[in-house]
Amino acid sequence: MKKLFAVILGAALMVSGCGGTNDEARQAAVEKYGSDTLKLFNWGEYIGEDVISDFEEEFGVDVICEYYDSNEAMYTKLQAGDKYDVLVPSDYMIERLIREDMLQPIDKSVMTNIGNIVPEIMDLEFDPGNVYSIPYFYGNVGLVYNKNNVSLDDLEAEGYNILKDTKYKGSVYIYDSERDAFMVALKALGYSMNTDNEEEINEAYNWLMELNDTMEPSYVLDEVIDAMANGNKDIAVVYSGDAAFILSENPDMGYFEPKEGTNSWTDSMVIPKNAENPKLANEFINWYIQYDPSYAGSEEIGYTSSNAEVVADLSGEGGAYYQNEAYIPRTGYEKDEIFRDNEVLRAKLSELYAKVKAE
Amino acid sequence: MRDFKGMVYPYIIWSFALIVMPMLMIVIYAFTKEGNSVMNVRFTLENFAYFFKDKVFVDVLRRSLMIAVITTVVCILLGYPVAYVIARLKPSSQMLMVLIITLPTWINMLVRTYALRGILDKTGVVNSILGLFGIGPIKLLETPFAVVLGMVYNFVPFMILQVYNSLCKMDYSYIEAANDLGADNVQSFFRVTLPLSLPGVISGIALVFLPAVSSFFIPRLLGGGQYMLIGNVIENQFLITGNWGFGSAISLIMSVIIVLAMYLTRYVDKKVSVKGGND
Repeated sequence: MKKLFAVILGAALMVSGCGGTNDEARQAAVEKYGSDTLKLFNWGEYIGEDVISDFEEEFGVDVICEYYDSNEAMYTKLQAGDKYDVLVPSDYMIERLIREDMLQPIDKSVMTNIGNIVPEIMDLEFDPGNVYSIPYFYGNVGLVYNKNNVSLDDLEAEGYNILKDTKYKGSVYIYDSERDAFMVALKALGYSMNTDNEEEINEAYNWLMELNDTMEPSYVLDEVIDAMANGNKDIAVVYSGDAAFILSENPDMGYFEPKEGTNSWTDSMVIPKNAENPKLANEFINWYIQYDPSYAGSEEIGYTSSNAEVVADLSGEGGAYYQNEAYIPRTGYEKDEIFRDNEVLRAKLSELYAKVKAE
Repeated sequence: MRDFKGMVYPYIIWSFALIVMPMLMIVIYAFTKEGNSVMNVRFTLENFAYFFKDKVFVDVLRRSLMIAVITTVVCILLGYPVAYVIARLKPSSQMLMVLIITLPTWINMLVRTYALRGILDKTGVVNSILGLFGIGPIKLLETPFAVVLGMVYNFVPFMILQVYNSLCKMDYSYIEAANDLGADNVQSFFRVTLPLSLPGVISGIALVFLPAVSSFFIPRLLGGGQYMLIGNVIENQFLITGNWGFGSAISLIMSVIIVLAMYLTRYVDKKVSVKGGND
């Protein structure tokens, strides 16, 4: 999900997907959509290679792309008053943006392709009725493990607690974000990851501290992708989309979704209230959820597309992610949860996580 | 001269907007918190109290300083001899050597650090070569060694160039004079060359120590994220928690420490050079 590398490189080059759009097409676009420029603010490395230039060509417009590497970084820029037309935040951040009245409703009359979306990720609790958001990618968080060194029986028996199994001391990667680290700890203890019960949070904190003391874990972000594809360590906490990519690179790796439940997430396209080209933004969203643009991104990056047909084709026989356990994340499991925006929990976790990392 | 006086104004505006203003903002954020409906902000020392109350943050700060000091020392030990050798070459070779030293800095620092990951990896270049001799694989990546290696690799050119510059400016006849007066090579180095090149070392220290103490992606990429440094804590306060006050307070504490450190090195520099001159 986070492509620090791509973000910084992108920022350094100030990449914009400028295609050679001719004046006539431009004129037509201005008449039709009121503008010939779209500002897209997306995760780094989160879209297919030619997707932007295809859109530019088809609509006769320019797309200006900017990238972020965390929901919070995106939020900070948005709050500073930067104007974008389309953003792709995660569920809990969308909930926060809705609550703070920073989004505008999607124009459903434009969304002729909305039927393409995987039904399980529509109408979720962070945005009931999809008033403000249209899904882009979805997935969960699980364990990538080396099938030669880690037995599936151990995984089944221990779940997340395998991260504390001293048999694997020194070969564990934890995802370096406070939400994901605490999600693992809380789930391992059988609690909800959205709890604001102080005792439960403290228990989770102790769980992580114990892990630090006994396992010598490494805390990594996107480096985990290359590291696991190279077989550096045996077990890693990974986003399903990155896991799908790792599995396709290294056949020794497997993906495991623990029974204690996990974080099911959805990244969706939204339009900020201060967008300058909302009309074109709606067109872009409706265009993106078609087969071709969705296919290109999902095939290249490994994250599960919101387009049901794309998912079926990529995971079907002959598809790039055929028999890839990580490409189709578990849905509808009762212990899986969506992150909710909770200010108390956020502040508490941040304080505790600093201690976890400082030890 | 009077005609050129006006040219300084753009710089004054520039430095006010980009240096003075941000510093002021940090100070204001660090000492205030959101107030009640009557007053928007009010003065507080809470942010600083929070930092020193918990030994966690102080530990992080100490660790950051430690790594920066080790990096700086290694850079001096490696960089000084290199600069010394280059300064003794004939001018045309000097140009070439300086070019070679600066060459890596043309590439983005992040890209180079990523490349180091590939080199130190369990399946990387070093371990593959060791494997040919039946050694290893040795765990190189995600160790304190990797962090210091990454920092030294990234920052040592700054040290070399600073020392080289000051050695170049030195008049070689001083050494000849010292030799004429009976000093051997070792003596003339410690009595003449070293004191004269100290200003270069001092500015080299500034150029290495400052980025090393605040760097956060090198320890993150090469240290396996086990070592949270002060830069990471500040980043978190601004981006994740949104606690700008606390983030600013840490930045301010850092600035004070760095200014003190710089002052101290200059002070030592003066002492030593004066002593060297009088001897």
